[in-house]
Parts: sequence; C-alpha cells; structure tokens
Amino acid sequence: MIIINEDLCKGCHLCLFMCYKNVYAISSEINKKGVQLPFVKFEERCTKCGTCEVACPDQAITVDLPDNWWMDKDNDINFNPHFAKGRK
Amino acid sequence: MSEKTNRFLPYMRQDRLPHIFCPGCGNGAVMNAFLEAMEKAEMDFDNIAMVSGIGCSSRIPGYINCDSLHTTHGRALTFATGLKIANKDLDVVVFSGDGDAASIGGNHLIHAARRNLNITMICINNNIYGMTGGQVSPTSPKGIVATTAPYGNYDTPFKLAELVAGAGASYSARWTTVEMENLVLSIKTALKNPGFSFVEVVTLCPTYFGRKNNLKTPTAMAAVMKANTVFKSAAERMSEKELKDKIVVGEFANKQRDELSEVLEKFSIENSGGKTAVNSAYETEF
Repeated sequence: MIIINEDLCKGCHLCLFMCYKNVYAISSEINKKGVQLPFVKFEERCTKCGTCEVACPDQAITVDLPDNWWMDKDNDINFNPHFAKGRK
Repeated sequence: MSEKTNRFLPYMRQDRLPHIFCPGCGNGAVMNAFLEAMEKAEMDFDNIAMVSGIGCSSRIPGYINCDSLHTTHGRALTFATGLKIANKDLDVVVFSGDGDAASIGGNHLIHAARRNLNITMICINNNIYGMTGGQVSPTSPKGIVATTAPYGNYDTPFKLAELVAGAGASYSARWTTVEMENLVLSIKTALKNPGFSFVEVVTLCPTYFGRKNNLKTPTAMAAVMKANTVFKSAAERMSEKELKDKIVVGEFANKQRDELSEVLEKFSIENSGGKTAVNSAYETEF
C-alpha cells in the first residue's frame, strides 16, 4: 500500500517520472494549496522497489511493506533501533 | 507513532516541515539519499555534525535533527576543519552549494582536498545561484540564459569532481538526482572512506534554471538531465564534440593516503605527550 501525505506534497510530479512501472497518475482536482496531487492508479504494477520514497523531495510518499523495520507495529517510536542507541 | 509515516521523517525536525525548497528542487531528494546512505553505512546518528554555508542547499542541516553549524558564506569547510581537528571522533558532513563551494569558497575546497582531512562533503550543484535570483555561477554550462547573462553564458564551467580529484582528494564522484541508487551507494562509500570524500550531485532548479531555458516543469528538466547523462567509462571513448552539454557521472578518485587529523594527533603525542600540542612554560596549568 502506498500512502501520499497531502500536507507535504508540493505537486512536482517527479514521482510519475521516477517510477519505473508507471504506478502514479495526476488527479484532475486541485486541493486547497493549488496542487494537483498524484494518486496511486495502478497499484498491482508496483514492485515495491522504494525509488519513489527516496526520490520524493518532500518526504510525502510512504511505501508500506511489512518486511521493512520502519513499518513494524510493535516499534512505537518508528525509528531504526540500531541508530537510536545514544538518543535521549 | 501509531500512524504510518515516511521512513525519513523521524530523522528530521518535523515542526519545520514542509521545507522551503521549490516544487521539484533536488535538495530534498539529496537529503533522503544522505539519510538512506547513513543507514546503509551503519553510522551513529548522534555522532554526526553537519556544517553548511549560505545557499538553498545549505538549509538542509536546519531540517535534520542532529548537531549542525550554519556558517558564513563560503567558509563551511574552514569551520568543518576546526571542528574535526578539535574533536577527531566526530563524523563531520559538509553540505554546500556550487556557489558556496566553487565560487567564494573555491580556495578552501582545493586546500581541504590537498590536506586530505577526514570529512565528507556533499556539493549540490544546480548550475546557477538559485537563492539570489538566478545569476550565473562558476558551474553554469556554456550557452545557458540567466539573469546576469541575457544573451547566453560565454564562460566555460568548472568541473568540480575532476578539480577535487586533481587537488588530491581520496574520494571524488559526480552523480545526478535522477539516479538515486548510484547516489545512495556513492554517499555510503564517501561516509566510510577515511580522507576527504567529495560527492557532487547535479540537481534540478526548475524555478530559475528551468524557467529561463525552456524547461518549465521539473519533469521536463529531469528528462533532459537523464538524456544528457553519460557514464565515465563511456565518456572516455567519446570525442569532445559528442561530450558537449553532457554530464559525465562516475567515480573520479578512490585511493587512500595519510589523513590530516590522525597525522596531527600523532605529531602532538610525539612532541608533547598529549593529544593537544602544547609546548609552553605554563604546561602544568593545562
């Protein structure tokens, strides 16, 4: 499942360009910021490579994968435990 | 957090988001690439200190939740040199733009490479002075239109990655923001590498570069950038005429040699017995 954060997206549409499988499409409606948001049209094409997650300049895309540590339900801080050792 | 959020948001100061970068600007993507490379290199996030100068790209450390220094224009590398020599165990990362690194801080750049200080530098090259209104920068390609070059730019641009490799850096590479996988692996290598590691990232600037050069949308700029990218191994077999307006990507230097902060520490232990070189009559007071 792919989640797009509507508050962070600025509508650059680079996710449409970067996606290798053409999962995304542009919506015809304009939201209150004046942005034509992308939406996930063909989710069955997605290979879950995660390129859109890294390439999104506004950190708006989340690719929900149960294998990834940051999607673990028990992990209540949503933070990689390997890097959080010294954090107070 | 019960709600599912982006994997990079926990590293960032979320109260300052959304950031001020224009729609389609590559700075946010470079920030993501750095955070992913940091995870892949298994570095300690609390041990990282970020230094930046002035410019669009130098606002990146303001959005990352770690220790950071926002310094004067062009002098990010000098502050980073002092920080690294004062505390050798810190992982110092410098973010700077092309105007910051190549124009006003050009001498600091080549001398930091000559000394081979153990820091990582990520230079975000958008081919123009984006923050001040689209003036010609030392890395602007020949023939582009800008605010201060309405009839086209006549100067030959700097090739930063080659320049730093020639100045003696131990790692130097150039990538673009449309090839994220290579960029992430390159930043990972640069973070692990002992010695001056330089990664030049060619990014999009749709607002000032693209608008004046008939590439108005970020997608058009990204498509042109992807079409103009040539790998280093392929570029060696091409003539100079074919390489016009092309971006050559790849690793330009990867060889290790003596590193400044360790050399200085060894020198001070040999000469004064401590980690700091103190040779004074009042030595007992220190």
